[in-house]
Amino acid sequence: MELTINGVKRTVSAPESRLLLHVLREDLEMTGTKFGCGAGICGACTVMVDGVATRSCITPISTLAEKSITTIEGLADGERLHPVQQAFIDAQVPQCGWCMSGQIMTAAAFLASNASPSGDDISEAMSNNYCRCGCYHRIRIAVAAAARTSAANEVQS
Amino acid sequence: MSKSNTENTKRWRITRRGFLIGAGAAAGSVALGVAFGLPVLRIKVAGMLENATIPSNAPKEPSAWFEILADSRIRLFVTKAEMGQGVHTALAQFAAEELEIGLADLEVTQASTEQGFRDSTGTSGSGSVSGMSEPLRQAAATLREMLKAQAATQLNQPVASLVVFGRGIQVKNDGGRRVEFAALAATQRQWMQQVPKESVALKKPSEFKIIGAPVSRIDIPDKVTGRAIYGYDARAEGMLYGTVLRPPTLGATLKSVDSAEAEKISGVVRIVRDGEFVGAVARTRAAAQTAVSTMQAQWNESKPLQQADIDALVTVGPDAGAQIQRIGDAAAVLDAQTNGSITAEYRTPMAIQTPMEPQAALADVRADKATIWASTQSPDLVRRRVADAIGFKPEQVEVITTYLGGGFGRKSDTEAAAEAALLSKAAGAPVHVGWTRSEELRYGYVRPPTHHVLRARLDADGRIAAFEHRQASGDVLFALLPKVATTIAGGILGADFGATRGAMLRYDVPNVSTIAWRRSLPVRTGPWRGLGALPNAFALESFIDELATTAGADPLTFRLRHLPDNDWGRRMTAVLRAAAEASNWGSAPPSGRARGIACATDVDTVVAQVAEVSVDAQGKIRVHHVTAAMDCGLVVNPDGARAQVEGNVMWGVGSTLIEEAHIENGRFAAANFDGYPLLTLKDAPIVNAILVKSDDKIRGAGEPAIAPVAAAIGNAVFALTGKRLRNLPFTPERVLAA
Repeated sequence: MELTINGVKRTVSAPESRLLLHVLREDLEMTGTKFGCGAGICGACTVMVDGVATRSCITPISTLAEKSITTIEGLADGERLHPVQQAFIDAQVPQCGWCMSGQIMTAAAFLASNASPSGDDISEAMSNNYCRCGCYHRIRIAVAAAARTSAANEVQS
Repeated sequence: MSKSNTENTKRWRITRRGFLIGAGAAAGSVALGVAFGLPVLRIKVAGMLENATIPSNAPKEPSAWFEILADSRIRLFVTKAEMGQGVHTALAQFAAEELEIGLADLEVTQASTEQGFRDSTGTSGSGSVSGMSEPLRQAAATLREMLKAQAATQLNQPVASLVVFGRGIQVKNDGGRRVEFAALAATQRQWMQQVPKESVALKKPSEFKIIGAPVSRIDIPDKVTGRAIYGYDARAEGMLYGTVLRPPTLGATLKSVDSAEAEKISGVVRIVRDGEFVGAVARTRAAAQTAVSTMQAQWNESKPLQQADIDALVTVGPDAGAQIQRIGDAAAVLDAQTNGSITAEYRTPMAIQTPMEPQAALADVRADKATIWASTQSPDLVRRRVADAIGFKPEQVEVITTYLGGGFGRKSDTEAAAEAALLSKAAGAPVHVGWTRSEELRYGYVRPPTHHVLRARLDADGRIAAFEHRQASGDVLFALLPKVATTIAGGILGADFGATRGAMLRYDVPNVSTIAWRRSLPVRTGPWRGLGALPNAFALESFIDELATTAGADPLTFRLRHLPDNDWGRRMTAVLRAAAEASNWGSAPPSGRARGIACATDVDTVVAQVAEVSVDAQGKIRVHHVTAAMDCGLVVNPDGARAQVEGNVMWGVGSTLIEEAHIENGRFAAANFDGYPLLTLKDAPIVNAILVKSDDKIRGAGEPAIAPVAAAIGNAVFALTGKRLRNLPFTPERVLAA
C-alpha cells in the first residue's frame, strides 16, 4: 500500500496488519522513531498522523491510507529545526536520547493544538512519555520555551 | 561522534615518555595514544582497602588517541561509551584545552575493539571523566609540543615564538609564517624524535578556557533529529532479525522443543538450536517473535520461586558477616547496657534498570571474523562473551560500540551480542537481536534486595557514642566477574564491594562497626545506577534522622555536629549548608508540606539534598522540590554535571516512590511497563542543582546524587506526618499503614 511519510509517498509491500513502527524502522530504514515497549505505554515510538501524536508501535498501517505521517526525520523544515527541536538543544535536554524523538513529536503535536499552554497543561501533555535518564526538569523548560518561540513566530508571520 | 572507523591503527610503540605512538589511519599522519585502565577488580579492591597501593599494570595498548585528519582537524578516539552522561564532550574538552584548539576542530570517535585498545573497566562507576583527565590531557599537551617542535623546524623559527592558532601553528601574530596540522603530520616520518624529553607541564586550572566552561554537548544535535545511531538501530546489508526462546520460569531447563509450526511462519529463515539455546531467524522481527511464541517447548521446572523465598534469604546474621569498618568497639558499648540504645530495620527491594533502549546488538559472523555492533558499557566483556559463544578467539571478534540508549549498569553485560552471534553464525547472515520490554524486565539482572539492621547509642550530650550497621545484600559486582576473581576478592573482603558502596559511616563517632553479608540469590543480580549507594544511604541517613529526633536536635544541626574536622567533614559541611540555604531550611515550609535532609559520599564526591514533600489523603507522596548540592571538585562541564544531578534525583524519586520488582510463581511478575511503571513528568520534582567546588580535583558525577534521595524524602515524610518509613518503595499503602 501507499503511505505518505514526511510529505513523500512511499510504497510499502507489507501486510496491512504490519505496525507502522516496524515499517518505519525495518522496511524504510528510518530508525529515528524508537521502540520502547510495544504496548503504547512509554511513548518512545510517537509520530504524528495528520498532526496528532500517535503511538506507531500499536498502529497498523491499514489505518493510515490517505493520512499524512510525520516522523522525527521530517519535523525540521530543511535545515531549519522545528522550534521544539531547537528548544531541546537550547535547554540541553537529551541525555541518552532514546526517548527524545517521542518526546519531541509529542510536544510538537501538543503545541500545534495549544499555542499558549500553562505549566499544568505541559505537565499533563508530557506525562505519557517515559524518560529513564530523568530529563523531566528540562523537558518542562524546553516545551515552555518552544511555546514562546512558536507564539513569537506567529506574530511575525 | 560515533562515526565508526574500522581502519586498523595498531602498531604502537612506546615512546621514551611512556606514550604510545603509532601509524595513523592516513598515510604520513601521526597518532599519539595514551594507555589507561587497570583491571576493575584490582582498582575496586584497592579502593576499598584503605591506603592500599593500586597495583601497577604496564599498559600495552592505548585507550584514547589522536589522529590528524587531512583537513587538519584532530580526531580523538575514545573507548568510553556515550550513554547520555556527556562523556564524549567532557573528554573532548580535556583534549581541546591542552591542544589549544577549538572544540569544533576536534572530532570525537568511538573506538572499536579492533583499533588497538583494551579497556577492561568499560564505562562504569562514574570514573570515565575523573580517570581520563590526567592521561588524556598529558597526551594532548605532548602532541601539541610535538607539533610545535616539527613546526619550528619547518618554519625555521624558535619553538618559543610559536602558537597554536586555528588548525595549525604559526608565529605569534604572524599568519604569514604558518603551517597547518595536516602538513606537519605529512612531512615528519620519525615522530619519536619529536617527543619532548621532559613531561609537558599541564595547564593550571586557573588557565583553563574550555575545561569548566558550560559547553554544549556534542551528541545532542543528532539526538533531536533522529540521526544518532544506537545498538537497536544498527543495520547491515542483508541483515535478518533474531529472537531467542526464553524459559517460562527462572532456572527452568529445556527438555524438548517442537519447532515444526514455527518453521512454517511466513518470513522465517531458520530455526537454530544449540544445546539449551533455541532461537528463530526471520526477515522481520515480528516474524521471528511469532516463530518463537509458536514453538512447543517442554521444560524441567522446580518448585516455582516466590517473593517470600527471596525475602527470607536476604537477612543479616545469624552467621558471621564480613567486618568492613571498625572503629573502637561498638558492640561492647551497645551490648553493655541495652537500655537506651536505639534499633531500626530497613529494607530495599529488587529494582530493574530498564533503560529505554532495551538490550540490542547486531552480529555479522563470517568464517574467521565476527563483527558486533552493540549498545554496551563493556565492549571488552562482549568480545569475550561472543568468542566463547561461537568458538572464536577474542582477537577474531571486533566490537563496535554505538550510542547507548541508557546504560545504568544494565549494559555492563550485553547478552544480546552473544545471542546475535550464535544466530548469525547459524544463519550465515548478519542478525540483529533486540530484546522486547518483557525480556528486558524478566531476563536481565536486577538491583539486589537489601536488609539493614542499625543500632546506636547517644551519650548524655546527645552525641552518637556507638553506631552499628549490619547489612545484607545480594551480589552486585561479583555477579559479573569470573568465578576465580570473586573467590580472590571475596577472600580479601568477604563482601561484594558494589553492594557495600556507601555502607560505611563517615560521621565522627568513637565506636563504629559495619558488617556485611553476601547473600547468594536464585535470581540474577548486578549493577544498577550507583550500586549500593542508594540502599545504603537510605538506611544510614534515615537512621541518623531517627537519632536526631531522639536527641531532640534539628536534623541539619545534628549532622553538622557529627562531621569530622578533616577534608571530608569540611566538604560535607559546605554542601549541607549550601542545600539548606537554597531550600530555606529552618523557615516554615508552605502549608501542608515539610522538608527532609540527607547527605552521602560516593566516589569521593559529596552530595546533600533537601526534599520538600506533601502527602495526600490517599497516602500518595508528592515530592515538590529537591535542592541538591554536590561537590565533585573541579567540574569539566557545569551544565552537564547539573544534568547528571537532575537525572539522578529523578531516578531516586522513582526508586523511592514506585519501583519494586517482585517474583511471582517463578518469574518476575511485570511483563511490561504497566507492571513496572516509571516516574513520569507529572510526578517529577523541580530540581535545583547546585555545584560546590572545594578544590581542583576532578571526581565522579554520574551517580553520587542518587544516594541521598530516598532518605531525604523519608525524612521529609517523617517531619510532616511523624511516620517513619523504613521499607522502599513508599507506596500509598505503606504510608497509610505506617
